[in-house]
Order: sequence, then C-alpha cells, then structure tokens
Amino acid sequence: MDKTARKLLAIATLLLFQFPVFNILNAQGILGGHVTGNVQFDGQFSRRDTTIGSSDVPEKLLSNARADILYTNGNFSAGLRYEAYLAPMLGFNSQYTGQGIANYFVSYKTQTFAVTAGHFYEQFGNGMTLRAYEDRYLGLDNAIRGINVSYRPWNGVTFKGLVGQQRYYWDTRGLVRGLDAEVSLNDVVTSWAESKTRLTLGGSFVSKYEGDETILSDISGYKLNLPHNVGAASVRMDLSHGGFGLQAEYARKGQDPNIMNNYIYKNGDALWLSASYSQKGLSANLQAKRVDNMGFKSVRSVSGEMLYINYTPAITKQHTYAFLSMYPYATQSTGEMGLQADFMYKFKKETALGGKYGTDIHLNASLITGLDTTVIGGKGTDGYTSTFFGTGDTYYGDVSLEVAKKLSSKLKLTATYGYMLFNPVIEGHEGDIHHNHILVADLTWKINRKNVLRFEAEWMGSDSKYDAAVDDKRCGDWIMGLVEYNFTSAWFVSVSDQYAYNDGIGNYYNISVGYTKNATRLQLGYGKQREGIICIGGVCRQVPASNGLTFSLTTSF
Amino acid sequence: MNKSRTLKSIFAIIAVSLSLASCDKIEQDNYIVFSGAAGEWFDGNGVSDHSQRAIIEKYTGVRCVNCPNADIAINDAVAGYGDKLIAVAIHDSSNFTRPIGETPCLSTPDGDTWSLFFGIEKNGYPTAIVNRTLNGNNWDLFNPTSGINSRVDNIIGQAAQVALDVDAHNNNSTVDITVNLEFLQSVGSDLTLTLLLIEDGLVVTQRQPDGSDDENYVHNHVLRDVITDVWGADIECTGNSGEKRIAQFQYTPTSSDWKLSNCHIIAFVADKATKQILNAAQSEIE
Repeated sequence: MDKTARKLLAIATLLLFQFPVFNILNAQGILGGHVTGNVQFDGQFSRRDTTIGSSDVPEKLLSNARADILYTNGNFSAGLRYEAYLAPMLGFNSQYTGQGIANYFVSYKTQTFAVTAGHFYEQFGNGMTLRAYEDRYLGLDNAIRGINVSYRPWNGVTFKGLVGQQRYYWDTRGLVRGLDAEVSLNDVVTSWAESKTRLTLGGSFVSKYEGDETILSDISGYKLNLPHNVGAASVRMDLSHGGFGLQAEYARKGQDPNIMNNYIYKNGDALWLSASYSQKGLSANLQAKRVDNMGFKSVRSVSGEMLYINYTPAITKQHTYAFLSMYPYATQSTGEMGLQADFMYKFKKETALGGKYGTDIHLNASLITGLDTTVIGGKGTDGYTSTFFGTGDTYYGDVSLEVAKKLSSKLKLTATYGYMLFNPVIEGHEGDIHHNHILVADLTWKINRKNVLRFEAEWMGSDSKYDAAVDDKRCGDWIMGLVEYNFTSAWFVSVSDQYAYNDGIGNYYNISVGYTKNATRLQLGYGKQREGIICIGGVCRQVPASNGLTFSLTTSF
Repeated sequence: MNKSRTLKSIFAIIAVSLSLASCDKIEQDNYIVFSGAAGEWFDGNGVSDHSQRAIIEKYTGVRCVNCPNADIAINDAVAGYGDKLIAVAIHDSSNFTRPIGETPCLSTPDGDTWSLFFGIEKNGYPTAIVNRTLNGNNWDLFNPTSGINSRVDNIIGQAAQVALDVDAHNNNSTVDITVNLEFLQSVGSDLTLTLLLIEDGLVVTQRQPDGSDDENYVHNHVLRDVITDVWGADIECTGNSGEKRIAQFQYTPTSSDWKLSNCHIIAFVADKATKQILNAAQSEIE
C-alpha cells in the first residue's frame, strides 16, 4: 500500500472510531450510512498433461481473490478493493502476484456536482479517447488514480474533467488529463423539449504526458525524438427519432510513436457509426467503423492489455456458445475497417412461423478487414499512408442465425448456425484463413418448477488442420455435448465434452457442480481447458491449457 | 452568477486546460535525433556520392601583397572544379597577418599550429598545399598563383579510398554536424576526421599588389575554428572495404563575431600518421 492509501485509511479509521461502537453498528449501518460489498475467490489446481500442453504448477494452488467494500452515506461514498493473487491463475499476468489494496476512493455527489478522489473508472463517449474500465476475466484494470470531477451547470449540460495516473498491476504509470462536454439539445433548447427528435452532442479531449526515453531508430546512432504530450480529441452525436437512432463519433490522435505502431509518427483517427431501428418484436442495427493507428496508452513502450487510455468499440457479436466463441475477434487498434448488421425479429404467437408460443430469430453478420495501406518507412517515420475507403486483408467474418422456439410449455429449443472466417494474422501469426461452419442445438427441459435439464450439442466443421509447428489446438473438426441439471433451485451439475474428431487434437471433458443460496454461489469444476484466447468487447487474453480442479466462491452483502 | 458568465468561466477553464495539455508536434525532419555522445561512431548507411575531392589550404595574410592574386587563382579553380575542389584560407600569426589599422584579426591558434608544422613561414606567403601531399620527402608547398590545376587533377583523378559526406544544421546556435563515411577500398592505417568552421564574405582591409590597402576587400574560405582536435578525431573503424560509419558532433561557436549564416563546415579524412588527406566534403549550415 502506498503513502496515499495509508493516509486515506488513517482518515477513514479516525472518522469511524471517534464515535461509539453502538452508533457505528446500529441498524442503519455504520455512521448512519450503509456498507455493501462483494467477495470473489477463484482457485485452480492444474497438472501436467502433454496431450493438451498444460504444465505442472509449482505453487499447486493458484488463486485470484478480491473483496470490494463500499460505504455510502447520503451524498458521500468511499470504497476500497482488496485483491490477492497468490499466485495468479493461469493466463493472468505474473506481475499481478501479490496482495494489497488495489483500489480506493472517496466520492461526493450531488445532483449537479460530483467529485471522486482516488481510483475511478470513466468513459468519454464510446471510449475512443478515454475509457478507464475493469474486466476481471481479462485481468484488465485501467483504473485512473487521481481526481475526477463532473459538473452539470444546467439540465442537459455536463462537463467532466479528470487528471491522474493509470493502474499498472500494483503500480501506477503515466499521466492522463481529460475533458469532456456533452449537451442534450432537447434539454437546453426550450422549443425542442417536447420534440420526438432527440439530439445529444458531445466532445472530448484527452492528453497524456511522458518524459523522454531512449528508443533507438533503425538508423544506427539515432534515437527517436519523442513527443512528450500526446493528445486525442473526438466529437460525437446521438440522434434519435421514435424507433430510429443514429450515433456517430469521430476521434483523432496526434503523433504517438509507441510499441503498438512500431514507433511511427502518423496521426491516428477513428470513425464509428451506428444506425438502428427498433419496435416491439423487431430490432435492426447497422454499425461501421474505421480505425487507423488509434492505440493510445499512457506509457508508449508498454505492450499488453494494461495502460490503454482509450477503447475502440467492437462490432462483432459476442458469442456465448463454445464453438462460436472459439475464434473471437481481437480489435486491431493499429488499423481495421468493419461492418456489422444485426437483426432480431419475433414471430408472433399463433402465426405460421410463430406457432403456439412465438419464435425469435436473431441474424448477425460482421466483416472486418485491414486498411489499404502503402508503407513509406519503419520506426521513426510516418510509417504508412492509407486510403479512407480502401480495404486490406480480410481479418474476420461471421454470419450467424439463431432461432429460439418454445416447443411446449416445458421445452425450449435454440438452434444456431454460424459461418466464420478467421485470419490468424490478427493473433500475430501467419497462416491460411480458417473457414468454419458451426451448428448448435440447445434444448431446455423445464421438468418442474425446481428441476431443469439442459442439453447442448455443437458441431464445428473447419478447413483448418492441426499443424504441430503452429500448434493451434483449435484447428480441425469438433463435436461437443453438454448436459446440465438444475435441481432444488439451488444446485446444478453439468457434464460436457469437446472432441476434435478430425484433423485436430484434443478431448476436453469437464464436470461442474454448483450451489447457490441467496447472494452466495459456490462452484467446483474438474476437467481440461483448451489453450486459446478469450475476448470481451474485442479486448483479449491468452488462456493457457490446464487440467485439474477449479473452484469459485462469490458472495455479496 | 448568470448562465452567460458561468458558461464563459467554464469555457475559459477548458481553454486554459487544453492549452496546458495540448499535444506536441514533431516536424518530419526531426523524427530522429543523434543518440550518442558527440563524436561517437556507429555503423552508418553509406554515402551516395563516391567522388574523390581535393582540398587546397592557402596560408595567407592581410599584409601579403601577392595574396589577392592567389585568391583570384583559387577562386577561378573553385569555379572550374565545382564541388571537386574545396578551399580553405588560413591566417596564421606571422607578420603578414597582423591587422591593418583597427580591422579584425583573422588569425587562429589552430592555423598557427599547422603553419608551424608545415613550415609555411620559411616558404613565404602565399603558400598552398593540396591534400597535404608530399613532394619527395617534403611537403608539396607551392605558390598558388599557379600550379593548382595539376595538383588537383592528380588528386581527383584517383579513385577514392573513402567517400564521405557532411550535413550541418543550425540548432539554436549549436551546429549539429553529421558525417557519413564509406570505405570504397580497404585502408590499413589509422584515420582521423577533421571538421572546420569556414566563413565567407568577411570584409577586412587587405594590402594589394600595388601596395595600397583595400578596405572593402572580401575574404572568403576563412578558417574560423577547428571543431575537432587540430589533428582531427580518431575514426573508429576497421578500414575494411565496404564499411560504413557515421558520427555526429555538436558544436557551439566560441565567438559571437562569426556569422553562422555565412559559414559552412568542411570535413576531411586524413591518415593519422602521415597527415595526408584522403578525401573531403563540405556543407552549408542549414
């Protein structure tokens, strides 16, 4: 714990203990406020298994644990999070090893004004200039430690300002400053107040400061002349009229030579567009984006998932079924073009396609390509030029149709077909594009109020073949079966197996047992985990192979 | 506070904040900068111009009546040979170089060192030497009012052993100098690199052949300073054919009387033992 954390804790302790204990622990909570929190403990035993490539773990037991404590009293709130990685579970960066108070803050909030001192998460617009967030499953925490202020001088007008340093495992790095303004014109312009058309405009500016460092150029004897202050700015709009919606954001970034872009000086920019329509039983959404050299970190020479200041929204579907999510798409912040169309429709009851209970269909298609670029140099140059509408190599394509239908009062079937193409270059290695066809059948049988059986069968046919030199264990044709039984409303047990029956390797079986009571959930699992990659919102983490026992405890209060 | 004043205050705060946090813009020419200590040698990218050049050092003085004629001959030769001939005018501390009246002294200590070494005073003024070559066992000193062309032809007619180029930039009154070398033939001996600051267009009284003093005489190619050691800086190299080396130097002129806008940089590579010059190059200070 550093000095600041110790001071804050000392002040909090002083405040708490200057009052009699019976006042602290009264029925209303501490000091008239409320304490809430949650605890999560994940543990893992893994052993060596040459068939899947897992290794023995020297510590035997790996665990990630955290406890969030939040105190609120009227407009005031304070919180802290204790984290312990002893040692970090497989796939989490070893720099997490250790324990301590990783996050602490005090906050005061009124209807027009809010200030947070300490760690905070924040997002401007879609996050294209700034998104400080946390995803525990990715091992990602870009929290900013500093001061965050927001002010609403009038209804519909919000200003935000922040300054701080970003979390880097158990340390903080960089210096980030940001300003954001957002105006809801319907709230500001009196004559628009009742308009069906709603328009919100916004803009943000974020800059980082870094001192000098020696990064040698490709020319012997020369180093890069690095910019110390790098700025990014964006403008955005959100327009809606009835069921129609149109959102857009455009961001630009100044010269920012960094390890992600091979230290080139080209400016970055990104455009994100989304048009949508929805009404009862129907929704349609079309999204497009173009990202060119927009990786923005508070420390230029750090790779990996930490220290990102910004985020470019993913426009591929976040699949949940195993084979559909086997090849997730990782956003290429250095450059990509993408399109996504998403359509959902509910066939009403008592129609030809709706049947007795109605039918839901969900169609999604996305295509991501690289940019059309012309290389003009390497490190210490402008790097490349790109045409705005030109496209480069295909990175990823995905079409899926999901049909969900209640067959009877007790049976519900969800059937999905997916076609996916995946270019390994987005994971940093060469190879042929994989073309996969996936079928999923998910049948839920509600035996009675307390007993539910779920069956899941998946098949994936792929033109990829396992090659020991590349060692991509996802290749080949796969089948999978899963049976899950929920009983007494508290227990569940599931058994599953994934098997590469052609051109691949691996047989991954798993068995899990879980118990839930009130806000507490305990889960125990045993089986094999295939090495691969998990992505959430286009941000990814490598997951190494494992074979052994996992357990998880979560509770909140 | 009314709405308008509040809004103005907010935008003022935002404007100040933005200006404080605005981003840096690096010009394309400055994306990369020299990384090492001044004079440190690294592997380079080679030299595109493999020309063999000659450098004529003329020892002169403002009281030397024959020196204006030598200037004419040298100026003619430079005009004729173009960038193949580089000229340096060295004012030593002989009686011929004492200023006339209140005019500035053009002598330099480094010029004195060379003058003494090459025995210029015994030879008289003007005296010149091309590439510090020998004539038999003696330095090939000559009166440059004639005999320049044969010596220059002899030098530039040979294939260069070492090609070099020099690049100089004025960076807030500090001159960043980059020298690239490429060995076109293997060279077995130790080599040195000498850098000179040369100023043109100096109006200083000069005694003329008729004995009169010309107050408006324009002196060119005047040695102002030897940037390296007077006998040059060691070149770290193997001397193998094909080798490419680069070094950068930061130089701050020691006198405010020197107008950098009228100056240029001369670089020459010499044999450390024999002092003979292998090749030379010059660059304006941009």
